[in-house]
Amino acid sequence: MTKQATPTLAASLVGMSVLRVDDIPLLTGAGAYVGDVNRPGQVWARIVRSEIAHGRLLRVDVEAARRSAGVVGVFSGSDTPDVRIPLRLEWAATEATRAALQPPLARDRVRYVGEPVAVIVATSQYAAEDAAELVVVEIEELPPLVETRAAAENAHTVLHQTVGGNIVNRLVFGYGDAEAATRSAAVVIRERMDIHRHTGVPLETRGLVAEYEPESGRLTVWGPTKVKHFNRSALSGLLDIDEGRIRYVETDVGGGFGVRGEFYPEDFVIPWLAIRLERPVKWIEDRHEHFVATNHSREQSHDIELAVAEDGRFLALRDRNWIDLGAYVRTHGLTLPVSTALHMSGPYAWQALEIDSSAVMTNKTPSGTYRGPGIVEATFVRERLIDRAAAELGLDPAELRRRNMVPVEALPQRIELGHGVVRFLDSGDFPDAWDTFLEQAGYDDLCAERDAARVRGEHVGVGLAAYVEHGAVGPYEQARIVPEPGGHFAVSVGVSGVGQGVRTVLAQVAAQELGVPLEDVTVSHHDTDTIPGGFGAFASRGTVFGGSAIMLAARDLHKRAAAAAASQLGVPADEVTIEGARASAKGRSVPLLELGCAGEGRFEKATTEASFGASLALVALDPGTGKIDVRRFIVAYDVGRAVNPELVIGQLVGAAAQGIAGALMEELPFDETGQPLCTSFVDYLMPTAADLPYIDALILEYPALGNPLGARGAGEGGIDGTGGSIANAVADALGAAGVEVRALPLRPEDVKRLIRLAAGE
Amino acid sequence: MTRRIAIKVNGSWYEGDVEPRLLLSDFIRDVAGLTGTHVGCEHGVCGACTVQLDGAPVRSCLLLSVQADGREVTTVEGLQNAGGALHVLQQAFRETHALQCGFCSPGFLMSLEPLLRADGPAELTDAAIREALSGNLCRCTGYQNIVAAVQLALARRRGAA
Repeated sequence: MTKQATPTLAASLVGMSVLRVDDIPLLTGAGAYVGDVNRPGQVWARIVRSEIAHGRLLRVDVEAARRSAGVVGVFSGSDTPDVRIPLRLEWAATEATRAALQPPLARDRVRYVGEPVAVIVATSQYAAEDAAELVVVEIEELPPLVETRAAAENAHTVLHQTVGGNIVNRLVFGYGDAEAATRSAAVVIRERMDIHRHTGVPLETRGLVAEYEPESGRLTVWGPTKVKHFNRSALSGLLDIDEGRIRYVETDVGGGFGVRGEFYPEDFVIPWLAIRLERPVKWIEDRHEHFVATNHSREQSHDIELAVAEDGRFLALRDRNWIDLGAYVRTHGLTLPVSTALHMSGPYAWQALEIDSSAVMTNKTPSGTYRGPGIVEATFVRERLIDRAAAELGLDPAELRRRNMVPVEALPQRIELGHGVVRFLDSGDFPDAWDTFLEQAGYDDLCAERDAARVRGEHVGVGLAAYVEHGAVGPYEQARIVPEPGGHFAVSVGVSGVGQGVRTVLAQVAAQELGVPLEDVTVSHHDTDTIPGGFGAFASRGTVFGGSAIMLAARDLHKRAAAAAASQLGVPADEVTIEGARASAKGRSVPLLELGCAGEGRFEKATTEASFGASLALVALDPGTGKIDVRRFIVAYDVGRAVNPELVIGQLVGAAAQGIAGALMEELPFDETGQPLCTSFVDYLMPTAADLPYIDALILEYPALGNPLGARGAGEGGIDGTGGSIANAVADALGAAGVEVRALPLRPEDVKRLIRLAAGE
Repeated sequence: MTRRIAIKVNGSWYEGDVEPRLLLSDFIRDVAGLTGTHVGCEHGVCGACTVQLDGAPVRSCLLLSVQADGREVTTVEGLQNAGGALHVLQQAFRETHALQCGFCSPGFLMSLEPLLRADGPAELTDAAIREALSGNLCRCTGYQNIVAAVQLALARRRGAA
């Protein structure tokens, strides 16, 4: 099942698992990551960070550091312009959220451990770190707010004074009369559910190199990749430099997962230093910094209520939630409450939905998007409750889900949830996809396997989760295709690579559409100088938007080439045929290169593409150690059309692996003073090969109708159901005590406690 | 205070006046200019910086460059054969999609290479390969294609694939 994938068009490049175009440099050490970028005369920056979670910043004494060997400059908040790191998505933004944006270096207060307070610039990394030790930071401590709900209720200690409280955004989403629907229910399940803080943790930390050329006034920035055109525009605004004078260059990237490449405080500080010092400045985050400085994610608390009719029909879902955004609203912070609300309904039909969401400030590292943002969380809380309802009604959990899935006749369906958030389901067939998944996964056999194991006295459980991801977010992407000598085509497009293989996939689309071999196409997305605009890599959009724009550009090129060839050859345009790099008519032909035309394509789409997904976990609990052994994990995901099935499987498996570890191992805890307890790989439990099961991934292909490629997103779908299905499997293994599974993570100590509870101790 | 040292990296000697605290990983990257060795944590857990010292895999972030004075280091740049063809492991990684971002790959390759030597095991179970991999972190793949790559490379060496 793992490698199953049927190309939708036989003998075509789209649908073939071709080998990646980028692999050989990466395997031979010739890749060029940001740490490998070195500029003549460059100096190194080191950020001095707050060691206190909350306090008044009284004094930053940099005199000793300034005298340290090799130091070129030392700067603190008062030396830098009084600017704030902007929001990227204005979705749901208010005055309060703008008041909680972060200054590049702390000005009068520090609000989390790890907040940048000063920056050292020196001739070597070692010298910069030596000098950083000599900076004296004087802070008058304030009470730290660590727990999310407590911070929301605290009126005395407020992180951002002008906001007046610690809730920066309270939004109600939904439709229908949830209260009335709940009154008519046969079964109502209410529960408090919590999800813990953890995050993407790419293996390469963040880094930046910035160089300013005073003569030309040009500024070049290497390193950030996710949304480079947005970053360029943000930096242009903050530095008051014309956008055309700023160039962002993408490098190879050691993993993105949503946390890398956004506009962070350092993304202002390093270019600002390069201009101020007129020297190239390099900064590479160390791993300890990464754990306190790079976005955290996932921390949420819910009071959720599920109302179900006697026959199992879902009536209403009501949820009050608190989303922990940490100390500041970061560029993508507001995506978390919005995405959680959007994904709460899953693949199901509801009479009514009501989500009351509070975005809360606490004295912890700010939050941002991590692969499947809000989706993993919403799926966990909803799917746990569905299993509880199934138990109350005496229904099989797979059957209860199937009964409630939006039927194919109801598609397309568009429901406004408020605040500009739309649940749009365009096409697909959820019940059919669900049945396919259950059959391919061998659900009935796995349940029999569980029952047999139980007879042997083992704690074994099966857990399911179903979900819909609203991915492939617009608004648009543009591409340009230019014929080059030798029959080659240069394709440029505004997406970003974060290690997934998007260049290969886009080359496949381009080569197929142009009717040329893969080797004749070079895709570039790396440089804002050659690609005028673009939106980057997030929300599983690269293939859908980049691929569609490339298809349109290829068609445009063929149209223009036909017209140009027609006039050159003296024939009507409809008599011109284009094969590969030549246009021909009446036995004469001309190379496209000589026609002097280029193809332009712009793919716009206001709505998202919804993908159905499902996962199943079979777990065994060890009562002695509390270890959860994930014996089977199966994920199925609708990608519309798999351009490169092997790469899709790679995305699904990799995402599922992250999610399994997120549910069982990874955690970013803080003590009551706001000190982070995990700041190294010794404390933060990253999964090794020995910790993870073999993961089966199944590609579903229900073509999307909203883009010429027919594709849906693929990058995140593997992670969305991990927490939900694993929690359901653990609950199933616990029997009656399974109702106690209310929170993630599920660590060995949690499992031991639950097993004792199940045994009536 | 600096000390003059010489380290043979991939067959060539590199000399430098280095501070005694200079990490071997920094010597390889900054003095020898070989940037295929990646630094992921600088505390010896992730394994991205794995190189071979006198033929044995080591974490170059946990060694000082002075400890390698006069010794022989092999990095990922030294893994291809003399003609430039990919090592059997590199080829297997490519064919099984055992890498995504590629940041961890050089460390995996240098940790695993001894398994493919003439005195290495003829066959290994998946579980044994997972154990052998467990000193290196990969965040992209979930590891199973890396296991498949090792199996493919072992099979090729046996002449079975």
